[in-house]
Amino acid sequence: MEEKKITRKKFVITSLLGTLGLVAGELIRQSHSIDNIENEVDTENKKYGMVIDLDRCIGCNACTIACKQENNTPPNIHYNVVIEKEEGEFPNVYNSFLPRVCMQCDKPPCVKVCPVGATKKQKNGIVSIDYETCIGCRYCMTACPYGARSFDFGENYYDQPNTFEASPYQEYDKIYQRGKGKAPQNSVRKCHFCSHRVDKGELPACVTACLGKARFFGDLNDPNSEVSIKAKGSWTLKSNLGTKPRTFYLGEKRDD
Amino acid sequence: MKRLYFFIIGAFSLVGLWAIYYRLTEGLKMTALTSNVSWGLWVVFYIFFIGLSAGSFLLSTMVYVFNMKQYEKIGKVALLSAFFSLVAGLMFIFIDLGHPERFWHALVYRQPTSILSWEIHFYLIYMLIIVAELWFLLREDISRLVIKAKGFKKFVFKLVSIGYSIPDNSEKLERDRKQTHKWMKILGIIGIPTAIGVHAGTGSLFGVIVAKHMWNSGLTPILFLVSALVSGAALMLLLYALLVPKEKQDNTMLKSLGGLLILFIAVDLLIVAAKYLVGLYNYVPDERQVLLNMMFGERWYIFWVGQIMLGAIIPILLLSIKKGSSTLKALAGLSTILGIFCVRWNLVVPAYLESPMPGLETAFVHDRLLFEYTPNLFEWITSLGLISIVILLFSLALNSLPIMETKEGKEDNGETADGVQAI
Repeated sequence: MEEKKITRKKFVITSLLGTLGLVAGELIRQSHSIDNIENEVDTENKKYGMVIDLDRCIGCNACTIACKQENNTPPNIHYNVVIEKEEGEFPNVYNSFLPRVCMQCDKPPCVKVCPVGATKKQKNGIVSIDYETCIGCRYCMTACPYGARSFDFGENYYDQPNTFEASPYQEYDKIYQRGKGKAPQNSVRKCHFCSHRVDKGELPACVTACLGKARFFGDLNDPNSEVSIKAKGSWTLKSNLGTKPRTFYLGEKRDD
Repeated sequence: MKRLYFFIIGAFSLVGLWAIYYRLTEGLKMTALTSNVSWGLWVVFYIFFIGLSAGSFLLSTMVYVFNMKQYEKIGKVALLSAFFSLVAGLMFIFIDLGHPERFWHALVYRQPTSILSWEIHFYLIYMLIIVAELWFLLREDISRLVIKAKGFKKFVFKLVSIGYSIPDNSEKLERDRKQTHKWMKILGIIGIPTAIGVHAGTGSLFGVIVAKHMWNSGLTPILFLVSALVSGAALMLLLYALLVPKEKQDNTMLKSLGGLLILFIAVDLLIVAAKYLVGLYNYVPDERQVLLNMMFGERWYIFWVGQIMLGAIIPILLLSIKKGSSTLKALAGLSTILGIFCVRWNLVVPAYLESPMPGLETAFVHDRLLFEYTPNLFEWITSLGLISIVILLFSLALNSLPIMETKEGKEDNGETADGVQAI
C-alpha cells in the first residue's frame, strides 16, 4: 500500500509536469505567434490586394493563360483558375464564374503550419514561398482552405523542352528555367500576385490580361487607391474561417 | 526455418532499398499523389508507426514507472519495438518529403507556430529517451555478450554497450542494477509526457487544420493517442504470443494483456462514435459528406471491415474465448494492428477527397489535380520494403539480444551466476 501511494504521487507529479510542459510550449508558441507580427500596423509599406468584380467576369480564362505564360507553370500547376458553375433551372440557366487566385490572407493558415518557415507573409502583403528552403512536406497544401497551392511533381520537365518550356522566367526575385531536378521542382508553388512584376511597378499578368476589366489591383494601405475604393462593399471567400483574405470579390455573394 | 525467414525478409529489404533509391532519384512523381490529395499512403504509415511506437512505449512505462511486475516480461520488447517503430515512422516521413535532402532544414529553420516543427523535436527527444532506456536495460546483457562473442559480432556488441562492462563482483553488480532501476524510472517519467506529446502532437498536426472540417476537432489528438495505445497493446500481445515458446508462456500475462487490449479498444470505439456521430448530426458539408463517403462510399469496407470488424469486433471475440490458445491471441493482436492501419487510413485520406471549393475539381482538369487517390504499385512496394527493413533490424536485435527472457527465468538456468563467475 505504501509503495502504491508513492506511485500515485509520482503519477500526479508526472501529469502536472507534462501539462506544464505543454502549457510552456503553448506560451512560447503564442509569444512568437504570427498574430503578433500581423498586428503591427505597417503604414510605410504597400500592402497589395486584389478586387475581382464577378459581374464583369465573362469566364474567358484569359487570366489563367496569362498566368501560365508569365510564370511558366507546367500543366499540373495552377496559380489562377476560373471556377465555372451552371446555375439556375431550365429555362433560366446561366453560367457563373469565380476566378480563384491566392487569397494572400492576412492570417494565412499555410504560413502558420510551415515547419521550416519557407512560406512567409511578406511586408507588402504577399504570401511567398522560398523554393530553396521548402522541404516539400505539403503540410501547407493541406492547410489552405482555398486549394490555392499546387505541388510541382517534376513532370513536364523534358530533356528536350520546347521553346516555351525552355524560356527563363522570374518568380519572386529569382530567375528560373525548367530543367531536370532544378528548382522549383519538388516544392509547393502558388500564386504570388506576380510579385516580380509588382516589384517593378507593373500589374499582375492576370490583371493586365483581363478582357472585361474585372480585376483591380493596388495598395490597400492607400485609402484613395482604386482597389481600396472598390474593396468597400466587397466580400471574401470563407470569411468564417478567419483567414482575412486580401483578395476581395464584388457581385452576388457566394457562400463557398 | 529461421534461415528461410531471414532470407525472405532480407530479400524484401533489398527491394526496399531499391525502392528508396528509385524514390530519391525520381522524386514524388513516382507516387499517385495529387496536389489536392497531398498526403497519401506514406503519411498513413507514418502516423501508424508513430502510434505503434508511442503505444509500446507507454506500455513499457507500466513496468518501469508504475512497477506493474506482472508485465515485466514484455518490458524490454515493448521498448525495443517502440524504438524500431519510431525508426519506421521517421523513414516513412523522410521518403514522403519532396526534398528529403533538406530534412535538416526542420532543425535549423525552426518555426514556433508550426506543430510539425515542434513534433520533429519531440521525436528526437523521444528517440534519445528510448535509446537511453534500452541501454540501461540491456547493458548488463550486452557486456556479457561482448565477453562471449567473437570477431565482428564482438565489435558490434562492444559498440552498442558504449564501454559498459559488467562489474567484477556481485556487490557492484547489485549497485549497478539498482542504478539501472532508478534511471529507468526517471527516464520513464520524462518519457510519458514525451510519448503523449509525440502522438497527441501528431494528432494535433491534423486537429489544427481549419481547412479540413473533419479533422478540426479537439478529439482528434485524443483519438490518435487512444488508438496508439490500442495498437501498442495489440503488438505486445502478438509479440508475446509469437516469440515466447508455448511451454514457457504465462497464461495470466496473456489474459491481462488481452483484457487491456479490450479496454483500449472500448475507449477507442467510444471516441470514434462520439466524433463521427457528432459529425454526422449536422449538415456541415465538408464534415458530413466526408464521413458519409468514408462509411457508405466507394471504400466503405475500409471502415466497416477494416476499422470495425478487424479493429474491434474480431479481436474482442477472439479474446473472449475462455480457453483460447495463444495462437488465437496472436491472431487477435494481428487483426487489431491491421484494423488500426485502416483507422489511420480513414483519418488521413477521406478528408482530402472532398473539394474545398465546389467546382474546383472541374475548373482545371489534370491527373495531378484530382480529388481521388489510390496508392500505386510503387508506393505499396516501397512501403513493403521499408517495413521489411525495419522488421529485419528488429529480428536481428531480437535474435542476438536476450529480449524475451526475464531475470528470474535466467537465474533458474543459472546463467547469471555463470556470467559473474566467468569474469
